[in-house]
Amino acid sequence: MAQDYDKPENNAGESAANPLGVAGRRGVLMLGAVAATSVVTIRPALASTAASVLNCKIPIPDPSHTGQYITQDGKLVPANTKGAVAPPPRPITGEEAKKMIGGQSPAGFDPSAREAYVNYIRRLQHGTSGFTCYASLQAPRP
Amino acid sequence: MPVYAADPPTARVAVVLDALVAVYHRPSGATHLLAAPSPELLDALAEGPADAAELRARLAALYELDGDGTAMIDARMEELIVAGLAWRA
Repeated sequence: MAQDYDKPENNAGESAANPLGVAGRRGVLMLGAVAATSVVTIRPALASTAASVLNCKIPIPDPSHTGQYITQDGKLVPANTKGAVAPPPRPITGEEAKKMIGGQSPAGFDPSAREAYVNYIRRLQHGTSGFTCYASLQAPRP
Repeated sequence: MPVYAADPPTARVAVVLDALVAVYHRPSGATHLLAAPSPELLDALAEGPADAAELRARLAALYELDGDGTAMIDARMEELIVAGLAWRA
């Protein structure tokens, strides 16, 4: 079997000669039985316990932009920009972020700023403070 | 008839592992091991949201299907929804 891995060119040649292929990925597709499971999720360690996820924190804005305001669509703008909201008094926990995304306004936060905060959280990118927390909220739960 | 949707293929990194496909889902950071026909169903959704009958038609254009029930496609899609890889449009 190990030889198969050493000769990828040969496998490609076989597939080209036989359009239906031998690997099953291009040929016959088994739809399977209704009861057969075909998805297994590998949970990242950071999402392994609900507690760690819900206690993680999302600073708004991230520390390198402290003091900036947040527009309704979640962008950062200079402080006191008209139409933008002030940052929350403290970082939002995973639990609070989950509530906000679900439409609630947890205690301690200005309800009229909820949408701006949620949009900010949704825009978080890899490498931004709070992204891992937000990503783990999106991960499937046991 | 439920209509299903999924993130575009660029939201996923897929690695074929013999009979299984490991799929890393960028938005959630979660990794899933999928068996046929689930990876094919996800790919078929790249054209846009579809119900089971439409998904079956898209797959039939690419593969010779073994099994005919759209019930099976619905069952597979429900699993993908639970895993967070797809949703009802």
